[in-house]
Amino acid sequence: MNRLRALPTFRIDPARRVAFRYRNRSLHGVAGDTVATALYANGVRIFGRSLKYHRPRGLYSLDGECSNTCMQVDGIPNVRTENTPLREGMQIKEQNVVGSAAFDLMAFMDKLDRLMPAGFYYRSLHKPARLWPVAMRQVRRAAGLGKISPDFRYGGRCDEVYLNAEVCVVGGGAAGMSAALSAAESGLRVILLEARPWLGGCFDYRPGPSQDGEPLYRRSRELLRSVSEHPGIRVFTHSPVVGHYTDNLVTAFQTGEPGDAFDYRYIEIRSRTVVVATGCIERPLLFEHNERPGVMQVGCAQRLARTYGLLPGERAVFSVGHDLGLEAAVDLSDLGLEIACVADLRQDGHDEHLVTQLAERGIEVLRGWVAARAHGARAVRAVTLATLDGTVQKRLDCDLLAASAGLTPVVGPLTLAGAQMDYDAHTGAFLPSELPPGLFTAGRLLGLHDAESIETSGRLAGLQAAAHCGAVDAAAVVELQAQAAALPGPQRGSKLVTAPVKGRKSFVCFDEDTTVKNVRQSIARGFDIPELIKRFSSAGTGPGQGGIPGHNLPLLTAHLQGKPPSSFVSTTIRAPLVPVPVAAYAGSRHDMCKRTPVHDSQKAAGGVFRRMGVWRRARYFSDDFSCREEVRNVRENVGLLDASTLGKFRLHGPDALKALQRIYIGDMSKMTAGKIKYAAMCNDDGCVIDDGVVVKRGENDYYFTTSTARAGATIEWFRYHTRYDGWEFHLVNLTDAFGVINLAGPNARKVLEKVADADVSNEAFPFAAYREFTAGGGAIAVRAMRLGFVGELSFELHVPSSLMQALWGLLEEAGKPFGIRNFGVEAQNVLRMEKGHIILGQESEQRTNLLDLGLGFLWARDKGECKTVGEAALRHAENDPGRLKLVGIRMQDPQRAPKDGALIVDRRIRGYVCTARHSFTLEQAVGLALVEEPLAGIGTRLDIYEDECRGELLKAEVVAVPFYDPDGKRMRM
Amino acid sequence: MALMITCPVCGPRNGYEFRYGGEDKGPRPAQRELSPGDWFQYVHANDCADGIQKEWWVHRDGCGVWFTTYRDTTVNREVPPPEEDA
Repeated sequence: MNRLRALPTFRIDPARRVAFRYRNRSLHGVAGDTVATALYANGVRIFGRSLKYHRPRGLYSLDGECSNTCMQVDGIPNVRTENTPLREGMQIKEQNVVGSAAFDLMAFMDKLDRLMPAGFYYRSLHKPARLWPVAMRQVRRAAGLGKISPDFRYGGRCDEVYLNAEVCVVGGGAAGMSAALSAAESGLRVILLEARPWLGGCFDYRPGPSQDGEPLYRRSRELLRSVSEHPGIRVFTHSPVVGHYTDNLVTAFQTGEPGDAFDYRYIEIRSRTVVVATGCIERPLLFEHNERPGVMQVGCAQRLARTYGLLPGERAVFSVGHDLGLEAAVDLSDLGLEIACVADLRQDGHDEHLVTQLAERGIEVLRGWVAARAHGARAVRAVTLATLDGTVQKRLDCDLLAASAGLTPVVGPLTLAGAQMDYDAHTGAFLPSELPPGLFTAGRLLGLHDAESIETSGRLAGLQAAAHCGAVDAAAVVELQAQAAALPGPQRGSKLVTAPVKGRKSFVCFDEDTTVKNVRQSIARGFDIPELIKRFSSAGTGPGQGGIPGHNLPLLTAHLQGKPPSSFVSTTIRAPLVPVPVAAYAGSRHDMCKRTPVHDSQKAAGGVFRRMGVWRRARYFSDDFSCREEVRNVRENVGLLDASTLGKFRLHGPDALKALQRIYIGDMSKMTAGKIKYAAMCNDDGCVIDDGVVVKRGENDYYFTTSTARAGATIEWFRYHTRYDGWEFHLVNLTDAFGVINLAGPNARKVLEKVADADVSNEAFPFAAYREFTAGGGAIAVRAMRLGFVGELSFELHVPSSLMQALWGLLEEAGKPFGIRNFGVEAQNVLRMEKGHIILGQESEQRTNLLDLGLGFLWARDKGECKTVGEAALRHAENDPGRLKLVGIRMQDPQRAPKDGALIVDRRIRGYVCTARHSFTLEQAVGLALVEEPLAGIGTRLDIYEDECRGELLKAEVVAVPFYDPDGKRMRM
Repeated sequence: MALMITCPVCGPRNGYEFRYGGEDKGPRPAQRELSPGDWFQYVHANDCADGIQKEWWVHRDGCGVWFTTYRDTTVNREVPPPEEDA
């Protein structure tokens, strides 16, 4: 299709061709095209088929207000092609068709509408009950939109951005730009959001005169220059607003341009004030076959020509209800479109200057006439016009029918913000009667039409927002308010609801194929308000998010019941206001995690890393995930474990001990220097949430560890449970400041002796002691603890993170003669399980209390009234029957350990396996399990159900723990 | 959590930075002689006021302070303290 000669309003570059594929044909568009305009330029008129009746559908609004032009683009279904820029090499397919969009084998469905009245599937397909699954499958096959392949993987790039501003302007038309400028001139940070890929709104393409007599498009470009030159305004184009939440939190998503680092970007703005200047969309005209390809909105026809250089047809009829329609007819006539007739449903109130211009061009204007029916099977071939009462009719041949009943303000962001909306008798629209604080409106959405009024209302709203932020004084607002009041106010809107037809094929909602007749049927069934009609007839539930039926539905509901239009309000508008690709919400796929100070050397040693909580940790050091060699080496020689992920804290201050007594279930007052205390924290239900060791380093100065998972929440926990007390203590999170090395195995002391500058013999540094010394000739300060988590002689060495690698290197070097090796988290898991030591979260869940785990010895009942967290609940639960108890289990088959989480059953579930492994040390399969108390006795036989056991239950027996070294001699060596 | 919350240290901030800490039920009761019912009342029972409620929040992603503030639960907005508490 030939494009028009270059116009100053073009947003395309006709010289740059863009190739794409459609239905296995290679086609070309030009730079700046959307997918929809490129197809239109190539003669495509039927873009898809409708949901229910498989009616042909074409270009209608050019803003993606309906699903007419949803297609599959590059494997992604339901892409709104009107909003999607054309890119080189795109693969485009139509959807919901059998055959092609132009010749759909399902088109016969359109004749069956009498069999499918409103809500037919609710009422007719459920009796007998066995019919429903069959019917459902058939209905789903025939109806619906695009299909996605289960194998499809989205390969695009997404990003997210979180911003703060004083003023957020929604809508980048003349009013929005004016508001942004006047707010920014008072020194505020302004963000301007525009749904289309460029600023300008309805001024962008119109050649009509502005207040200075120059064309509107030129005026809009002047504003654009001022906006882009202002350093206080940040502009986001192609960024429709999606939601508006409490206290002016605005969300939007942006489609990237070539050269941007993202395809979609989620935008979230916290703004003190919001100016909504979203303008208007057109209110669809209801008449028979009002969505036939060739019927389009006035703005769509004019923008096709002005923005994309495509003359929308050859011979057109206009049926309009607003001066914009007359203006478009004049403009398109001048651009070469033959216009047969302009029917204007208004009897009076026209801009007579435009009527004169039409008359000069020999175009007849019929006042009080409206389109009643579009003719043509797959595209418009003729139209019947009628007087409003339907008594006089005439038929005209045409291939384009520009139809619009009037204007609908885009009030989505306002209703989401909680503005009260009421019917306004002058404009015929639902407008805000009360706005929440910090929310302002401007521009055409208020019903303004005059160019100067629109700009002034924008400046006023910007100034009001600035005054709300305290940046300008109220007097300036009052002054501008007076100026605005002297300009033309809101224009009277057309009130016509439907053409004089029965409405069998007059579509209120295109997405869901809801007709005027369906609405009438709904009302007859008692669903007589818009919210009920919406649910019964599905009107407004499609991808267009109510853009097409939003305004017409309440008006039609009132009209069909003979009530005044103020009787009803529009259906509730909810976020997202426009369909958002889920990928945009998912954001960038960057995995943010922490690495320990010796990450690199563990990697070099063959570490296999896994994500654990916020960390990446070395889980294995070979391909053998049973860790046989790692375990053996710790039991026989010596191993090195990086335990840097442990939570590490300093607690100091005059009330530090009080805080410890509140939080830990044990008695912390009897701690002595140089000795560690193993202690547990419970929650207010007595359930164990954390365990670790505490050391006293000085008067009112403590150092303690928490489990990896609790490190982030520990300070919050201490502060929460002491929030009423006003105690003076300080907590410092040292988790990242210190690294931890666990040196474990019978040879551990031999290794440490070579590195430490102190005596580490069993006499000088016995089991459960705490020592501070230096290593490496005084260079490295070490806090050392003798613990026995893995059941061998072991030293836990805490060192500043920056010195971790140095000490690690020294130990590896010193340990060579003694067979030192890395071991990972999984080997540690096996080692500690053989020893019967628990890991919270693995041997416990949310309901497991201290006593269930057999850790009652940690609870100090006689430490005085410290209001210790969990103590009250433990006392209450002490004699509770029917609780789960932690026991050791040994499997009958020594080679067959059940999976963690396998169920212990008899005739019902009696417990579950927490951890179970084949122990190479013991040559047995052993584990820890939580079982009901009656099953906890030593020698009890248990049956274990596992997913793949095929009905053959695994056999186990309750045995005493620890399995390994029951006397604990090895860790005291 | 789209609301704004005023931290006593950092001023008005995005609600996402905070974590809710429950209704303000007063200091922990003495635990020694407490019945299970009374303990349950203190820990788990809530008023769930339909209107203005005094509640605890922590500025988790900020300064870490625990503080009380008032929120109108019907509109999910922070409100100034009622007269009698001011």
